[in-house]
Amino acid sequence: MWRAFVGLVKKEFIQILRDPNMLRLIFMMPLIQLILFGYVVNTEVKRIALDVYDFDRSYLSREFVNSMRAGNYFVPSRSEVSLRDLEERFKDGSGEMALVIPQDFSEKLVKGDQVTVGLVADGSNSNSALVGQGYAAQIAQKFSRQQANLSPPVEIRQQVLYNPEAESVYFMVPGIVAALLTMLSVMLTSMAIVRERERGTLEQLLVTPISTITLLVGKITPFAILGLFEMVFVLMVGVLWFGIPFVGSPVLLFALSAVYLLAALGIGMFFSTVTTTQQQAMFFAWFFSIFALLTSGFFTPIANMPQWLQYITYLNPMRYFLSIVRGIMMKGAGFFDLLPDITAQTVFAIVIFSFSALRFTKR
Amino acid sequence: MRRLRFIAQKEFYHVLRDARSLTIVLAMPMIMTFLYGYAINLDTENIVISVIDYDKTSESRNLADRLYNSTYFSMPKTKVDNLDPECALRSGRTQAVLIIKPGFAKALHTGEPFSLGLIIDGSDNNVSAAIQNYASILLQRFLTERLDPHVRLPVVKISPQVLYNPDLQSSHFFVPALVAIILLMVSALLTSVTISREKETGTIEQLLTAPVKPIEILLGKILPYVVIALIDGIIVLIFAKIVFGVPFVGSHLLLLGFGLIYISTSLSIGILISSLVKTQQVAMMFTAITTLLPSVMLSGFFAIKNMPVALQLLSYIIPARYFVTIIRGIMLKGAGLHVLAGQGLILLLLMTIAVFIASRKFSTKVG
Repeated sequence: MWRAFVGLVKKEFIQILRDPNMLRLIFMMPLIQLILFGYVVNTEVKRIALDVYDFDRSYLSREFVNSMRAGNYFVPSRSEVSLRDLEERFKDGSGEMALVIPQDFSEKLVKGDQVTVGLVADGSNSNSALVGQGYAAQIAQKFSRQQANLSPPVEIRQQVLYNPEAESVYFMVPGIVAALLTMLSVMLTSMAIVRERERGTLEQLLVTPISTITLLVGKITPFAILGLFEMVFVLMVGVLWFGIPFVGSPVLLFALSAVYLLAALGIGMFFSTVTTTQQQAMFFAWFFSIFALLTSGFFTPIANMPQWLQYITYLNPMRYFLSIVRGIMMKGAGFFDLLPDITAQTVFAIVIFSFSALRFTKR
Repeated sequence: MRRLRFIAQKEFYHVLRDARSLTIVLAMPMIMTFLYGYAINLDTENIVISVIDYDKTSESRNLADRLYNSTYFSMPKTKVDNLDPECALRSGRTQAVLIIKPGFAKALHTGEPFSLGLIIDGSDNNVSAAIQNYASILLQRFLTERLDPHVRLPVVKISPQVLYNPDLQSSHFFVPALVAIILLMVSALLTSVTISREKETGTIEQLLTAPVKPIEILLGKILPYVVIALIDGIIVLIFAKIVFGVPFVGSHLLLLGFGLIYISTSLSIGILISSLVKTQQVAMMFTAITTLLPSVMLSGFFAIKNMPVALQLLSYIIPARYFVTIIRGIMLKGAGLHVLAGQGLILLLLMTIAVFIASRKFSTKVG
């Protein structure tokens, strides 16, 4: 039994690592994900290109334009086209917002009147249009206060915990750990089992004196090892190269990752029981990965989603694992801090894995 | 030409015979559009904030109500322990804690300086930036209303005007870009797997020894997927219109033309990948990692100008980047051919390069 198991694991490893391309992929996949997700997913809106149409051309209007530079939210530049052709810059995507200062800007300000400044936004990027409006309103308010020499009596003193430098890499790396474990185990497991079926070698394996359960465990163990290896690799690169802090307990993270892996392998196994070709298995796995990533809070917070979708996210095991990884790595959360997530994840893993194993052995 | 037709026909049978794959290929765009359209929402709302109020006056309660009545913030499910606010932050039960020390109401009347404490869970840098922003906006509003009504302030008011997407629906921004991603997924992923399948099962030799030219094999294999990708693209567009109400301002014909160019470019990338690898598994992973992922990340879902320069440069060789500009321009802004011609030319150039490399690799294998 044990020897058969070891033999199977060995065979599977040889099969995976024989292909030099596969070997390259195993290292490339986490690196590319790290670089892309670490540097790219930054939804903060900054450096909005602001075309300025200043019809006042006074000291005050220049001051106002200058104040728009504060905080690096806007990059104002005097517009080169006439107001009539303002849209041209939006259409080819080079302009994002335009500021129109009326002729009587300084005159009204000096009198203490209210003056209205036009702000035209390209709404096709809804987020930056919305955030840009907010910034502009805030800056205008601050400018008004300065003109009136009013200082705010009450202010907010902020303290940002866990990621005070607001580095998006710090936030993304724990997410990549979860994403990698999900994608890798579901895709590789489902395809590896289906490949044996596609080629007819599964029957050969089934008629050997190996019990089905040994076969099953032997088939998925290499992917579990590979998954944990990838995780360690990502964490090492994250800590050594990106310098992300690892606050919590690595042992706890490792133990809970193993539980999650059980769920992910179970899903991969399930897909292998409902498909007949590698192409189908690939589609199922790929589709599931996208679903899992999108509804786990990996890209955008779950709280932003519509209510009905928020209920669906409870069915996604990655949701729980993601908050576990982030909690442990960034906040140093312990077992009891994460108890609800840990419970949900463990129940999921047990149910999915036994269900798929049963389905598999019945075949 | 006839031989080309036979290969295309054979490939069509392959696709149609496999009902399960076909269902996925047709159902996937719909479900994906649905998911992306709803799941990706950058408007941060319903941030869970807890207020620890030591002042216990009507003013401090007013301020707390002000936070909870806005759409930005909502109350935590369980009340936060006054002594250890950090525990609630660590377990994720709350995302921020506002501490109002005694003397808040008094300071409002006397006008002496006073500071409120705000502890923020910074792990998600985007959310933490939003919390800081919203909190200070709401506080400013609260303070302005308390000023003496006789004080006359010079006020600069911003009057915003939004073009193209006046309701600021984020789905109008994301769904057109999604067409680019789904087209790429169907074309690149499917073609890369289909050729490596012939390699894996050994039928590629049979094909190569048959009296057809390698280029005919390639074209014949591509054709069915052009049709499928087109159908998928149309499905997503119909969905965009019906479910999300995304407007279509520009010319349909122009989009179809650019769409065909883009599909051909994606297909040639799929072919290029399959000419480099041996098994379906590797082909799929390779496409996912080198093509799909960078396309999602570098095509304009996220602001390219905020990325490191190296990644900005990399984005120039991503076909999806150009197509996203094209489709957003046509659908939302009604841009015409003269504005977008440059983008189309670059797509054609990328396609030529991919086909050139692939056919070289492919024909050396024959000899």
